[in-house]
Amino acid sequence: MNDAVLSLREVRKSYREADGNRLDVIQVGQFELAAGDQIALVGSSGSGKSTLLNLIAGILLPDAGVVCVNGTDITQLPEAKRDRFRAGNIGYVFQSFNLLQGFTALENVRLGQMFGNGTGDAVELLKKVGLAHRLHHKPRALSVGEQQRVAIARALVNAPALVLADEPTGSLDAANGTAVLELLRQVCTEGRHTLLMVTHDPAVMRHFERVVRLEELR
Amino acid sequence: MNLFKIVTKNMRQRALATTLTGISVALAVALTVAIVHIKRGMQQRFEQSTLGYEMVIGAKGSPLQLVLNTVFNLDISPGNIPWTLVEKLQADRRVKAAVPFSVGDNYRGFRIIGTTGAFGETFGYKLAEGRWFTCSIEALRDAFKEALEHSQERIAKEKGDAPAKPAAHHHNAAEAVIGATVAQETGLRVGQKFIAAHGVEVSPNAEEHTDNPWTITGILAPTGTAVDRGLYINLDSFYHIEGHEVRDAPKDNDPDPGQVSAIALKLRSPIHAFPIYREINDGEEAMAAFPAVEVRKLFAIVGNIDRILLAQAILIGLVAGVAIAVSIYNSMSERRREIAILRALGARRGTIFAIVVLEAVAICAAGAVAGVAGGHLIVMVANAALRHVSGFTVAPLTMEVAELWVVAGSVALGALAGIGPAWRAYRTEVAENLAPTS
Repeated sequence: MNDAVLSLREVRKSYREADGNRLDVIQVGQFELAAGDQIALVGSSGSGKSTLLNLIAGILLPDAGVVCVNGTDITQLPEAKRDRFRAGNIGYVFQSFNLLQGFTALENVRLGQMFGNGTGDAVELLKKVGLAHRLHHKPRALSVGEQQRVAIARALVNAPALVLADEPTGSLDAANGTAVLELLRQVCTEGRHTLLMVTHDPAVMRHFERVVRLEELR
Repeated sequence: MNLFKIVTKNMRQRALATTLTGISVALAVALTVAIVHIKRGMQQRFEQSTLGYEMVIGAKGSPLQLVLNTVFNLDISPGNIPWTLVEKLQADRRVKAAVPFSVGDNYRGFRIIGTTGAFGETFGYKLAEGRWFTCSIEALRDAFKEALEHSQERIAKEKGDAPAKPAAHHHNAAEAVIGATVAQETGLRVGQKFIAAHGVEVSPNAEEHTDNPWTITGILAPTGTAVDRGLYINLDSFYHIEGHEVRDAPKDNDPDPGQVSAIALKLRSPIHAFPIYREINDGEEAMAAFPAVEVRKLFAIVGNIDRILLAQAILIGLVAGVAIAVSIYNSMSERRREIAILRALGARRGTIFAIVVLEAVAICAAGAVAGVAGGHLIVMVANAALRHVSGFTVAPLTMEVAELWVVAGSVALGALAGIGPAWRAYRTEVAENLAPTS
């Protein structure tokens, strides 16, 4: 599938344990996502879901295999180019929001824009996620649901082909979680962003037509 | 959004540490600027004051004391020299002018200097208003005789003999031309009179010469030298004052009983300087000194002191640099998550390194700018003390090129201080610092 937004082939990642043995964390045979796909990747805690997202984002490098995003094998890019590529092509939403506390909602979104050289309208995006009245508030002044909305706006500000979401509702209550999840799916649908969300929450899985277990990727 | 905004935000988040480390840099810079400024300013003033004074002659002793007393109106006179030497030098073909000075009184702390009309003409001092005082050689000789009689009268009184009746003497009017600073600070104007106090410095017990008031005939234009702080009177009037009789035990048949504190020479050619210098110093009655040489020697001594002070200021600067490095380095533990977030958003390692170095540079640069302002403030405050000690002040608002170097040095220090913490930031593991905290 040449038009795949994400393509993983024979990806391996292991860590050396304290006793010197190697622990295989990720073993993926073949996995692809097309433009506009929305998929929930599930697995138990500690199964390597976050590690896989970090490999796809180019934050970690696999021991072996190919990770192609938008047709570029990011494992072959030098680190600086990989960073730049990530900023422009991959949006990342974290469980713990990972907003910079000293910056306002708008500044957090513009920070994402700065590294990706994006031209999107940060204010419009924040309005779209329902934060028109919270542009100049710092994260501490926002509710957890609002913080995650800022994180979603930041992830989308460079109009990335691929959005990675690492348990984005994990820190939210059920009502907020559902609202954030629907928002994320909605904006990804509207922008034809491919969404890969990892979760271990069955309630989240129910929102996705396609759910893949990590073990099935081997 | 840009790197500088990120740096500013980081600094604001660590406002206390940023302020304290910035203050330590400012302190070091302020000290350095003040030392450089005061030293340069004073040296300039001193050198400016020696212009025209090619050689000074006075009683044997310290040449520096003689120069300080004659040219800068500082310190006390090392003693007196005979008037005959003035006449001898005035008759010397190699000498263009020999201007005598006599000191010993003050008006509200400003020195009163007895001299002749040649003073203004020889050294090119212009009057802002009024005219020069009148001083004739006849009046001066008469004054010397009167001083001698006063002296003999006092000795006779001490011995219990009946004093001889003093002869009648012709007196020129007691007149004065005052320096620009004296006029400004005392409010004295042309036509007004003033009364001198005995001694070259203000003393609550000083005797006032109430029977000898001087009338101001002129005010000098500002010169930026010690002359601005002097009151120049006709030399003959100096010897009319009781207590200014110049010898304790006049020699019999002394054709010229007069004495003066010093003589300033202007030569017809610089080639005569060393022969005259040697002749005077080989003799027994006086000593010659070159003001420019003595000022250089003085600042060579002062230079050692200011080098020590500068070394201290640099040391404070280095300590401030270390404090900045430690402060930012320690904050890296708290900032690992932020760095990881920036990296996840696409910031390169080099960008993170630059942010941290820029933060250290910004603290140092802000400290340096505040320090330059503080240094000038110190100069303003120090001017009162400088005036008291030297009679000079330093222009507090002029900028020295050295100040730019100090600022540049501070920025370099900041860059150096930022390298350690920046390296730690550069090596931050992204994946492990992005994980949720429990």
